[in-house]
Amino acid sequence: MNSPLSKLKVGNQGKIAYFMDDAIAGKLTTMGVLPGSVVNVIRKAPFKGGIYLKIDGGNIVLRDREAAAIILSV
Amino acid sequence: MIIALVGNPNSGKSSLFNKLTGLRQKTGNFPGVTVEKKSGKLQLPNGETTTLIDFPGTYSLYPTSMDERILLNVLTNPLDKNYPDAIVYVADVTNLEKHLLLLTQIMDLGIPCLLALSMSDIAEKKSISVDEKQLSSFLKISVVTVSGRTGANLELLKKNIIQLLKPQANEFNPFYDFSDTEKKIAQQIASITGYKNLYLNKLFAHHHQQLPFFDKGQKESISNICEENGFKNLSYQIKETMNRFDRFAPMAQKVLARHSDKISLTDKIDAILTHKVLAPFIFFLVMLVVFQAIFAWAAYPMDWIEGGFSALGRFVENTLPSGWFTDLLTEGLIAGLGGILVFIPQIAILFFLISILEEVGYMARAVFIFDKLMQQFGLNGRSVVALISGGACAIPAVMSARTISNWKERLITIMVTPLISCSARIPVYAVLIGFVIPSETVMGIFNLQGLAFMGLYLLGILAAFVSAFVFKMILKSNEQSFLMMELPNYRWPVWRNVWQNIIEKVSAFVIEAGKVIMLISIILWVLASYGPTEAMSTAEANAITEAKAQSLDENATADLIAAKKIEASFAGHLGKAIEPAIRPLGFDWKIGIALITSFAAREVFVGTMATIYSIGSTEDEQTIHDKLDAAKNPVTGAKVYSAATSLSLLIFYVFAMQCMSTLAVVKRETGSWKWAAIQFVYMSCLAYLGSFFTYQLMTL
Repeated sequence: MNSPLSKLKVGNQGKIAYFMDDAIAGKLTTMGVLPGSVVNVIRKAPFKGGIYLKIDGGNIVLRDREAAAIILSV
Repeated sequence: MIIALVGNPNSGKSSLFNKLTGLRQKTGNFPGVTVEKKSGKLQLPNGETTTLIDFPGTYSLYPTSMDERILLNVLTNPLDKNYPDAIVYVADVTNLEKHLLLLTQIMDLGIPCLLALSMSDIAEKKSISVDEKQLSSFLKISVVTVSGRTGANLELLKKNIIQLLKPQANEFNPFYDFSDTEKKIAQQIASITGYKNLYLNKLFAHHHQQLPFFDKGQKESISNICEENGFKNLSYQIKETMNRFDRFAPMAQKVLARHSDKISLTDKIDAILTHKVLAPFIFFLVMLVVFQAIFAWAAYPMDWIEGGFSALGRFVENTLPSGWFTDLLTEGLIAGLGGILVFIPQIAILFFLISILEEVGYMARAVFIFDKLMQQFGLNGRSVVALISGGACAIPAVMSARTISNWKERLITIMVTPLISCSARIPVYAVLIGFVIPSETVMGIFNLQGLAFMGLYLLGILAAFVSAFVFKMILKSNEQSFLMMELPNYRWPVWRNVWQNIIEKVSAFVIEAGKVIMLISIILWVLASYGPTEAMSTAEANAITEAKAQSLDENATADLIAAKKIEASFAGHLGKAIEPAIRPLGFDWKIGIALITSFAAREVFVGTMATIYSIGSTEDEQTIHDKLDAAKNPVTGAKVYSAATSLSLLIFYVFAMQCMSTLAVVKRETGSWKWAAIQFVYMSCLAYLGSFFTYQLMTL
């Protein structure tokens, strides 16, 4: 089942299948976030902000809109 | 010889740079842009001296911000004067897999390079080790493990640099597997640019529109080649990145003794510091501590400096024969210099604390915590860094907005950052707060004046957000905006980096701001000491007559003469000319003079006041504060610095755009005087209206 990262609840995990937006994918891949990377949702930001993720051991923060462009195979 | 230090953000590059160059550094700008360029002299064991340039932290040769673009612009132009003869590539051992991307891109450009693996304290604690030999034979470049903290292996690194600078065989195979289409496009572009390197020409295909060294014709020809061959910019970029990762990731995992997956200290700390509810409160607590610290710690060294300069002034006055030269020395130069140096403790402490927050990694958390809130005001999470740095100085703060890739968010950040109270306002606040707020301690720990200080800062912050919101409503843009950011692991600050930063910023303040302040102090002294000859002597004669009529004593007579003379001087004329405009704000012509001079730089206010009030005074050892406190309206005898006037003046300094240097930087950053002018006008209006209402309400 594929679903966007933005739908994943805190504490859950998934594997990146593909990206929906080339501009976002371009930047994420240079940061080492690739299809196949394992993503954990650690927590949400204050003020209904972005999400704090653990991706392959590194800490990455994204906005909801950015997370929506990442499709996971859960 | 030029050696470039290149690496990802948080790779330990700055620590290594500081360790390699020590104090032989200088800061400048890359040509045409205001991205800070740090360079220093590096002495090699064979006696050769080379120039080491520290490039901004960059993820890849596909930049997403102005900061990152620098590396691409320099490395794709062999004619650039910063083009390196060799590159020392710095990668953090704990993040080896991710940090190899940019390295393999640079290798493909054919510039001689070596890999310096930096050991962070975390890597050392987890005893992560890397098989250097295996990595070296895989990448076909030398690999040295170094520590920017302890300096381990630096000599070995320097020896390897010597090897790197020797002429090498030009034959090499690119790391990246070019597809046939990419190869064809690159070869066609090569015929236009004249450079043989395939990867360089592939980068031209991606970036030619933004590269500054191509002319219109060249850009057009390259665009045509791309179009004819169906070149897809973004998807070719992603393909290249993934191809590189596919090749080096397995290798990186093999050479690296993996660290455990158990919950790290960073995760434990972040569970609290980035907590959904607690995070903002902790942030404000941190800021409160910062401002309390500035007040508590700075008081003692400030007293010493003040005392020292008073003593120096008296010494010179008593030693040299009296005359205009001695007056210029004591009342112009020494008073002006003291007015600058006395604020070094506060500025140093502020930069010290901000550097620590940056070094330990807390700033990146602040970006995450406030991103959503910032967006409501048309800003970006990264604006937090600019706004906090603005508490030290607007100039580096405005420049730090370069990390924001969205133009509108960046522009708004630049426009509102100068409303954050910078260290140059500290002198003015410090002198004036005493007139409004008594120095008392409340609830055992809080200094009442410290709280008032915080209040002024909050007022500045509030004004910044309101203005940002207005700009958000006026400006239109549909460019995409990003947060997407890596949070570095928490680490102990490298103290060398902190000191280096303090020394750099304080000396910039003393030298840059100091020059302006000294010059203005001297000009002011001249303006306040001289005037139309006839008017000056009439003023003196009138004062003596008046003093006799009131049977004043010797000191009071001297003060009265001085006051009348200043009034008749050039400075007095200038101040009086603008007095009608500032009267509704509660300011007299003396404050008027200070306002005029403050438009060059606001810290001049204190020096100006020192000059104006020390002239003719018989007690030179009095501090500026005491002098202002004693100032009385010669006609009514009421205090000039009443609470209403002082508060009105404080409000004026919170809002007013009184810094020529900032305006110049804003012009450079935004590319036109238009935005600098808009900034000057809106901030001046805020200041005038703010002061007007404050004074009128207080004197109802």
